[in-house]
Amino acid sequence: MLLIDKLSYQSKLRYVNASEKLVYALLTLVLCVLSRSVKVAVLVFAVNGVLTVGKGGIPLFRYIKLFMIPLAFLAAGTAAVMINVSRTPMDAFALPAGEWYITGSNEGIRRGLRLCVTALSAVSSLYFLSLNTVMTDILCSCRKLHFPPLLTELMLLIYRFIFVLFETASSITVSQQSRLGNRGFKTRIRSFGKLGSSLFILALKRSSTLYDAMESRCYDGSIRVLSREQPAKAGEIAVIALYGAVLVLVWLLCG
Amino acid sequence: MKCDEDWVIKAENVSYTYDGNNQKALNGLNLKIRRGAKVAFMGGNGSGKSTFFLCLNGIRRPDEGTIYIDGKPVEYTRKGLLDVRSKVGIVFQEPDDQLFSASVYEEISFGILNLGADEDTARREVERVIEELEITPFQDRPAHALSGGQKKQVAIADILVMHPEVMILDEPAAALDPKHTRKVQEIVDRLSEKGITVLMATHDIDYAYAWADEIVLMHEGKVIRQGTPAQVCTDRQALEEASLELPVVVKIYERLREKALIPEDTPLPGNVEELIEEL
Repeated sequence: MLLIDKLSYQSKLRYVNASEKLVYALLTLVLCVLSRSVKVAVLVFAVNGVLTVGKGGIPLFRYIKLFMIPLAFLAAGTAAVMINVSRTPMDAFALPAGEWYITGSNEGIRRGLRLCVTALSAVSSLYFLSLNTVMTDILCSCRKLHFPPLLTELMLLIYRFIFVLFETASSITVSQQSRLGNRGFKTRIRSFGKLGSSLFILALKRSSTLYDAMESRCYDGSIRVLSREQPAKAGEIAVIALYGAVLVLVWLLCG
Repeated sequence: MKCDEDWVIKAENVSYTYDGNNQKALNGLNLKIRRGAKVAFMGGNGSGKSTFFLCLNGIRRPDEGTIYIDGKPVEYTRKGLLDVRSKVGIVFQEPDDQLFSASVYEEISFGILNLGADEDTARREVERVIEELEITPFQDRPAHALSGGQKKQVAIADILVMHPEVMILDEPAAALDPKHTRKVQEIVDRLSEKGITVLMATHDIDYAYAWADEIVLMHEGKVIRQGTPAQVCTDRQALEEASLELPVVVKIYERLREKALIPEDTPLPGNVEELIEEL
């Protein structure tokens, strides 16, 4: 997560209008999931890769590494679709195991593969958004799209304080280690528990000083802020719309 | 000139106790501060500086006593507090307690929008402050990627954008490297040039001696001494009570006079440069 955050600030597509990227990511995501078409999925996956790595300048090995995370879940998920345990063997493969067979059907394998491809390209859409858009820009777009203020305010504070809390946690961990707090299994467990409780107390304290600081700037219960936005470009919007239309065509004609 | 009576802050007999504590954080504090002054607040940890600052801003309400801002007693109503907070701004000691947004631009815009500025004005002001405090080079970085000094600059911008009459800085140089300390000091000097009254808590007596128009010594929730640096820094008893040392300049000056290395009638130098000049 921290890695994605860092990368998003380095992306060359960072200063493209955030709403455009949000709409692009959601559009491709929805089309992937709705169509269930392998062709659409492959197209989306390829284009996202080109955009993120080629245009955005995210290092390829980072990009590939990031895909390993969903891939692990995906492998477990599709295995359940493709592999059956049954008394009668199916058409694709069958491994006898006593009276039973570990077996799968052609249909099941096709379904599993399709699921796999669709899921991966859906993830690639989300990665496109999160690797090329900084969180504060996403938030700003959410505000413009009239997300509930409670939600956007929470997101704003959480995003800021994840890092503050993380920093605090890592300095506590360092200070524990410097006093042999991870010497054995037992001490490690105890240190971890202590870390949790002191983090909780620190977070409480922090929240009350933060509240004071906000009050001293005339906070009245709702957080109003201005963001600097990159203007949306007509050309880019047109390209996104066109791309969406192409995807729909591919879905309807070849899917 | 009526200047002598232009008190921007007046505190009369102010007491405050935190919930559940036996000891009073502020214990009958009396103080007057002239408009446009540079005032250093000194005193050990727990002497009540920060609590007093929070009172000046209406965050804490004194149990007893009255605080006057611009000659008017602070009113603890919505409107009254808004008024006080638009006049008195606090830059907190720990920027991580103050910066609530990861975006520098959003962060700075918060205060001025709360004052009811429209979007165009707010944008103009935010951009002006970013320029003025030299935040431009890192304005697009997230708060968690800023250095301590940069966070401090943003924290000052947070308040400056609201055009306060009084600006409180709670140990602004704490945990900063010399380079950023100097930068913050430069910014503070610019604030004074604009006519802003600056109250600063600091433990650096040498800096306070050279910088301040007035030094306020606090101890156990009270002001034990207030006066010009020359007055306060020659009052050994008060300094001792506040557990402070003499400024180096004063120490050397006194020693030089003792040893008759400078004439008896040499005036107390205001800073190191003046002392060197003397030699």
